Amino acid sequence: MSQQKIVEVANASMAYRRTRHRVSSLKQTAIDTIRRRMAYEQFFALRDVSFEINRGETVSVIGRNGAGKSTLLKVVARVLPPTSGRVIVQGSVAPMIELGAGFNPELTGAENIMLYGTLLGRTPKEMQGRIEAIADWAGLTSHMDIPIRAYSSGMTARLAFATATDRTPDLLLIDEILSVGDEDFKDKSKARTIEMMNSGCAVLLVTHDLTAVTSMSSRAIYLENGTPKATGKPKQVVDAYLNDVHH
Amino acid sequence: MSDMKVYDSDVKMIPVISQVRAIWENRGLLGLLVRRDLTVRYKRSIIGIWWSLLNPLFTTAVMYYVFNTVFKSRLPSGAPFLPYLLSGVLLMAFFNQGLTMGADSVATGAGVLTKVYVRPEIFAASSAISSAINFLIGFIPLTVVLLIAKVHPGINSPLVLVVILCMTLFVTGLALLLSIAYINFDDSRSLISIFLMALQYMTPVFYPISVLGPHTKRIILLNPLTSYLDIFRSVYGGGTTATSHEWVVMIASSIIAFILGFWVFIKKWPGLVGKL
Repeated sequence: MSQQKIVEVANASMAYRRTRHRVSSLKQTAIDTIRRRMAYEQFFALRDVSFEINRGETVSVIGRNGAGKSTLLKVVARVLPPTSGRVIVQGSVAPMIELGAGFNPELTGAENIMLYGTLLGRTPKEMQGRIEAIADWAGLTSHMDIPIRAYSSGMTARLAFATATDRTPDLLLIDEILSVGDEDFKDKSKARTIEMMNSGCAVLLVTHDLTAVTSMSSRAIYLENGTPKATGKPKQVVDAYLNDVHH
Repeated sequence: MSDMKVYDSDVKMIPVISQVRAIWENRGLLGLLVRRDLTVRYKRSIIGIWWSLLNPLFTTAVMYYVFNTVFKSRLPSGAPFLPYLLSGVLLMAFFNQGLTMGADSVATGAGVLTKVYVRPEIFAASSAISSAINFLIGFIPLTVVLLIAKVHPGINSPLVLVVILCMTLFVTGLALLLSIAYINFDDSRSLISIFLMALQYMTPVFYPISVLGPHTKRIILLNPLTSYLDIFRSVYGGGTTATSHEWVVMIASSIIAFILGFWVFIKKWPGLVGKL
């Protein structure tokens, strides 16, 4: 059971066809077509990435901004289909990427918990039974019946975090280990993230925190311009990255 | 763990079938999205659900004044003008609202669709369904107007449900096609609004088909919305009769728009999601 493969990424590439001057209006397209200037260029956000994550393992992804780290998370999250290669993910996925996607300011706290939880792949019935516990964990029990437009940004972040981390998934996708809200909640949310990471699920972690990479992960990948430049033991991968950054 | 969900990027979705199955499997989410649309629109406004009626009622009042009082229009059949007009306004609102809301919810769904895996078709379907519910709410004033005009809705009125079903499928398919234009071209919205206005005039909302010359009549009859509207009025006391040809047009156009919309959308979506 402990060696169960949760994620399998084989030679995944993500190519975009983009126009030279980012045309996005009908007018510009028409002009360019007439002038025959629609030159496209291939752009690889990811190129030939392969790795596996077993249950209980953490794989970290490092690299400069724009190296394709977030694209990789989205490909594994099923949001972006790879243009070539293969991605297989078994079980439930919790994408901790920009939490609170789908929150509607006009809906109440309880209604947003229902909607957000369901968007994350759970059933409304299941969510109905979790509202109380989520509200309690976020410290927002007395605010459940008011629209979240009346919340402070910290309160909204707490609600999003509490909803997203209510269940331990088979695969956890993390874009930086978040700590949200005030000082107390920051500690609490960070502790919860680490608890989830250590709970035996598979974790794909994108981070700039190199200490976290060496201390928490089983393996690491260093991406440069979408291509894996180093893969393997976290310490070696971090060293390869640091070596490049300092030159 | 036997019921574990598996995602394999090599397993291709079957157009229409996989998408419809995804909507069915996520019907809980669909229900919440419909509720969200309705809640956001009504619950927080003082006059609540009546808000949805304000727009069609006001439009109807203006048009009634212009055509009945200023132009002194009369329906040749002698049927009362007000129910005729209101039924046209309500059905066009169903179409316009479902189409633009649906396309918008997919095109502006970037906040959700690029972070969480959800089939975007669910968003288009939820907009069509909430517009259908708005349309049903419109039956309250429509029935009142019919009673005032001493017209009975007729024994065929349950057939309205067929019109609603067809329109929901029609609008969902077209909204998906429209969302592709919205995502690809920032300036497509203004063109679409002009096109929708033209379509509005090409549908006999405030004039009867019988007053048109043969050439114009042919153009108006090419518009599938004319069939929807004629059928709606014929089954709900609006003073027209619908031909069997129109029934065929309505049912066929809804199925074609639905299948075409889903088919094109599933082919285009992988290229679109990167642009959101």
